[in-house]
Amino acid sequence: MARMISSRRKAVNTAIAWSVGLLIFFPILWTVLTSFKTEAQAIADPPIWFNFHWTLENYVTVQERSNYFRHFWNSVVISVGSTLIGLAIAVPAAWAMAFVPGKRTKDLLMWMLSTKMLPPVGVLVPIYLLFQKVGLLDTQIGLIIVLTLINLPIIVWMLYTYFREIPVDILEAARMDGAGLKDEVISVLLPMAVPGMASTVLLNIILAWNEAFWTLNLTAAKAAPLTAFIASYSSPEGLFYAKLSAASTMAIAPILIMGWFSQKQLVRGLTFGAVK
Amino acid sequence: MATQHSRAAARFMISPSVLLLLGWMLIPLGMTIYFSLLRYNLLMPGEHPFVGWENYSYFLSDPAFKTALINTLLLVVGVLIITVVGGVLLGLLLDQAMWGQGIVRILVIAPFFVMPTVSALVWKNMFMNPVNGLFAYAAKFLGLQPYDFLSQAPLMSIIGIVSWQWLPFATLILLTAMQSLDQEQLEAAEMDGAGPFSRFFYITVPHLSRAVTVVILIQTIFLLSIFAEILVTTNGGPGNASTNLTYLVYAESLLRFDVGTGSAGGVVAIVLANIVAIFLMRMIGKNLDA
Repeated sequence: MARMISSRRKAVNTAIAWSVGLLIFFPILWTVLTSFKTEAQAIADPPIWFNFHWTLENYVTVQERSNYFRHFWNSVVISVGSTLIGLAIAVPAAWAMAFVPGKRTKDLLMWMLSTKMLPPVGVLVPIYLLFQKVGLLDTQIGLIIVLTLINLPIIVWMLYTYFREIPVDILEAARMDGAGLKDEVISVLLPMAVPGMASTVLLNIILAWNEAFWTLNLTAAKAAPLTAFIASYSSPEGLFYAKLSAASTMAIAPILIMGWFSQKQLVRGLTFGAVK
Repeated sequence: MATQHSRAAARFMISPSVLLLLGWMLIPLGMTIYFSLLRYNLLMPGEHPFVGWENYSYFLSDPAFKTALINTLLLVVGVLIITVVGGVLLGLLLDQAMWGQGIVRILVIAPFFVMPTVSALVWKNMFMNPVNGLFAYAAKFLGLQPYDFLSQAPLMSIIGIVSWQWLPFATLILLTAMQSLDQEQLEAAEMDGAGPFSRFFYITVPHLSRAVTVVILIQTIFLLSIFAEILVTTNGGPGNASTNLTYLVYAESLLRFDVGTGSAGGVVAIVLANIVAIFLMRMIGKNLDA
């Protein structure tokens, strides 16, 4: 017996929820708006909302002065690279733990999770010195290695929770039909595992894209991804709000859009399957 | 189907992940512990003599350590309180019937995807700046004196920025948990004469405890290591007013080039994080097994 909800009540809910939602979203909206203003309009008092001369000039300046695309490309290489390598290492592990669980599988998973508790700053010095010694400082490879390792536990966990939901009985059925081990994996299990793998990839690209401790500490001008590129705007010269906004908009737009598509997987992935 | 053969194969498939993680944990950890016992400054070339606990006593007796410890606690607890309470309220709001629920969800979740350096810089400059920030304009409009957030209340301001980033996460998870709540149970309670408050505290709250535990666990992992937000807004200052443990160790090692003291600080950070972790894991274990 569903309760009837009066449309008056619904209207009130709608009004409150939209106001709160817009308030939370406002800093992002304001940044995007400011990115299309001139520097003078960006700091106008009272603030100008929509009634300004829209310009793309800031985007051009950001690209010309600090080579945005180079840093964008670094972000892409580092986040996608570390995710795919992590996936290649994690798929067999998660597969084995999900389909051939042993007595200690749970402990092993908990141990992997516990490695995430190791504060990065606790190993900053040795990693920094090691990287310095072998020439990995300020390189894409160096960051790919670190980000693969810090996100590996999450990838294993996510894949494990997805793989575990694949009904094993279906294997029996396939075997009865005379499928060999290879057919089993390729034509029966893989198609069922692909959606879970896709969500894992999506979530990890987001996490790697926004990772800011290692990217800030291990890169300089050459391999800096967008997180570190934006940090260079923390010591401003002259008027810079509009340019800061343009750079920020370009840094967050791709991942914001990806993120909106992965809302559902996000909950599951970040809670290690504990909340679905 | 778990034959001897498949067990061996399973072990073989799991070992790369385990070995890599083990290496990632043990090698740098061993090096940090080793460095922490040496007098080792990158600005002073030459020998790195063994000095025992000297770096530890130096790090632990530095007044900055106590400040950083308190700041770390305030930062973690402050953000947890704001995001969990705010997340429950927002979750309740978004769980109501309304028009455009999907769009509101998208608006609320958005800050989570903004990289830390961007959100910190946007808040610092476009909102909290005492001359050109929107808050300063609003204060002037209301006839008040503009407030210099990041120099007068640096830690509170950072708590605010970080809460904005994490509120969506808490909201999304708590909302997901609320949506799995059995509506019939709520209706039955209502029929039995339970008011909205007792329905909330006796049905919704117990149902949410697992989700809240998960939110606290995951956020604590990330909040203990807040770094970028501090680096681009205050650099830990003024003085040490917004320095947390992570930032302090970074400053010792990479700004003052004191590898020995920085490593000792790193070990201290690991020990403290482990104390928190044991505590959390126990709490989680209780809540997740059920």
